[in-house]
Amino acid sequence: MKLILDRYAYLDSPLHRWQQGYKLIGLLSLIFAFAVIQNIWLLPLMVIITWVLFSLSEIPVGFLIKRLRYPSWFIFAVVILLPLISGTTPILQLGYLTIKQEGSWQAILISVRFFCILTVSLVLFGTAPFLNSIKAMRSFGMPRVIVDMTLLSYRYLEELGEMLTTMQRAMKLRGFKARGFNRRTLKVFAQLTGSILIRSYERSSRIYQAMILRGYGSQISKKKQKKIEFDQSDRYSLRATITVVTMAILLIVLEAILPSFP
Amino acid sequence: MHIPDGFLSPSVCITGYALTGGVTWQCLRQIDRDRDIQANIPKASLLTAAFFVASLINIPIPPTSIHLIFNGLMGALLGYYAFPAILIGLFFQAVMFQHGGMSTLGVNAIILGTPAIAAYYLFQQRHLLRDKKPFLTTILSFASGAGALLLSATMFAILLVTNISPDMDINAERTAIFISLGGYGIQAVIEGVFTVMLISFLERVKPELLNS
Amino acid sequence: MTNLIETAEQLSIKTKAVSLRNLCFSYEQERAILTDINLEIASGESVGLIGANGAGKTSLFLAVCGILKPTYGEIKLFERPIQTGEFNPEIGLVFQNPSDQLFCPTVRDDIAFGLENIGLDPEEIKARIASALSLTGVTHLAERISHQLSGGEKCMVAIAAVLAMLPQIVLYDEPSANLDMRARRRLIKFLQSSHETTVVSSHDLELIIEVCDRVVMLNQGRIVADGTPEEIMSNTSLMEANGLEVPHSLTHSHRR
Repeated sequence: MKLILDRYAYLDSPLHRWQQGYKLIGLLSLIFAFAVIQNIWLLPLMVIITWVLFSLSEIPVGFLIKRLRYPSWFIFAVVILLPLISGTTPILQLGYLTIKQEGSWQAILISVRFFCILTVSLVLFGTAPFLNSIKAMRSFGMPRVIVDMTLLSYRYLEELGEMLTTMQRAMKLRGFKARGFNRRTLKVFAQLTGSILIRSYERSSRIYQAMILRGYGSQISKKKQKKIEFDQSDRYSLRATITVVTMAILLIVLEAILPSFP
Repeated sequence: MHIPDGFLSPSVCITGYALTGGVTWQCLRQIDRDRDIQANIPKASLLTAAFFVASLINIPIPPTSIHLIFNGLMGALLGYYAFPAILIGLFFQAVMFQHGGMSTLGVNAIILGTPAIAAYYLFQQRHLLRDKKPFLTTILSFASGAGALLLSATMFAILLVTNISPDMDINAERTAIFISLGGYGIQAVIEGVFTVMLISFLERVKPELLNS
Repeated sequence: MTNLIETAEQLSIKTKAVSLRNLCFSYEQERAILTDINLEIASGESVGLIGANGAGKTSLFLAVCGILKPTYGEIKLFERPIQTGEFNPEIGLVFQNPSDQLFCPTVRDDIAFGLENIGLDPEEIKARIASALSLTGVTHLAERISHQLSGGEKCMVAIAAVLAMLPQIVLYDEPSANLDMRARRRLIKFLQSSHETTVVSSHDLELIIEVCDRVVMLNQGRIVADGTPEEIMSNTSLMEANGLEVPHSLTHSHRR
């Protein structure tokens, strides 16, 4: 298992230079503004904003498309179904099936919103090392337990993924092939899962000992817990955040005042 | 069973985040009472990572294959840590695989996380009986695994169907909910049986994992 | 006379247990892991595979047993191309970390796992478990829980689980890593007495000297030397050029 999250995290684009803490505020508010949009007229604007952000980030389009592949199935199903089951105004009759106007607009709305939010969050988390994102969340006052757990589990994801791959290889080399679904197959998978849980659990106690030996959880470390401050002098990041937040507010205002369509 | 971005209105998303904040706070309060919190955080973290990895396993059910959700099992094993663990797992999934989404993270955490806590309470009941314990454990394991999944599926289906389009009529909505629950019913049985097998494996091999 | 020669030729062809031709492997868009590997191993031979960390030993093993698909070249076991991604019963691999292999509750279940996969009947499974356990000297562990065994015990159980499948070729990936002296000695004794074609990858050069009659040296995914253990491992310049050290038993001071 390769976590390719950080593959483009070290480029030098306007979005990479934007400090992660500021970027989180800016782009998360944009994501929420996108979620607010119900008005079809605003969709082109949303797509343009998304596209500008994405091209500024210098992340290759191929990377985005690859990541869209998996969730798109769900969207695809909805886009097919909605025009058939939702609404009252028929626009097209295909044999038994009636394509309805309201459902079609809903389908377009949902898929564009989905696509834009997904792209923006890819830009948000793809343009900085993932660890920086977690640390930035800590400075928003996220509880320490959550931050610690996130950091620690992230640290071991790849290793445990490797463990799973190796164990599945070992099973295959001894002739295991999940041919069909039966009691034995399920049991083998339960034992595999159980073994991974046990091995992680055993490793965690060694990790804990190593952490204690290096001062984890002592009184001193609690007092001196460093809070990453927002670098006030970073005018660029501040300006970028203000711009994007303004755009988000503008979108919401437009949504409220524009006549709805159709 | 993750609601993607773009499907829910912002009010639902924000309510989801608010509820998630509240439940997380409650869980953290319970966790704070834990005398061994320093030792349990690494444990919970590694198990979070392990469950994340395990959810990538493909269980073949010809002609297709499924991924298990494990939320009942996580509740049974992790107790109050299960909710933050699920929240973190969902966050990773949203960021790494675009599975779920940032705007729906709160809602998804409620959908999968609260049944985990319910499963924890249910699974705790195995301490009630002194004798006949193996039998009770089997029943409770199944109920935790299958029940948590069904509960999540119900919330998922209702939220999705009622929010997806304002123009859908009530009957169509009801049908859609029932159809999707039928599919999840099968997965619930699988998840329940899997939980029974896994708990009995742990009982034999590493019982302390069940009691911590 | 011609008949005799023919038979001899047939025999020599038949005894080619492993043959690799121009084998190359690399992960997607990354640097090559294995480059142009040509290697033949005769049936019954026991070969040591040495090389510094990252030389490609484990990748070579995974390719030979059909887990990794070579980007180029061919792999034959007993003259038949291997089926990448399929189960190849002729070959078995003992993983570096035995915990990667043992995931069933008890030792007995674990050894039975592979045998059940190939659909043997219960009687046969029982018999094979018994013989694999006695061959590796761990009969007394049969009912124990695999996770609770010591490192040395786990190692022998993992070997038993592979041998129960009756492979003709067995690959051992760093078998002596994490073993104490006594467990290591037991492993060496076992390897010396085994009849299968074996390939042992190890940093434990002394073990290779004791167990193998041929050594293949890898560096950055290429074969850089192939010969008898003494020939290769006493060659100080060759060893050092490839990030290795001449083992103690072969240094001059030790010989005298």
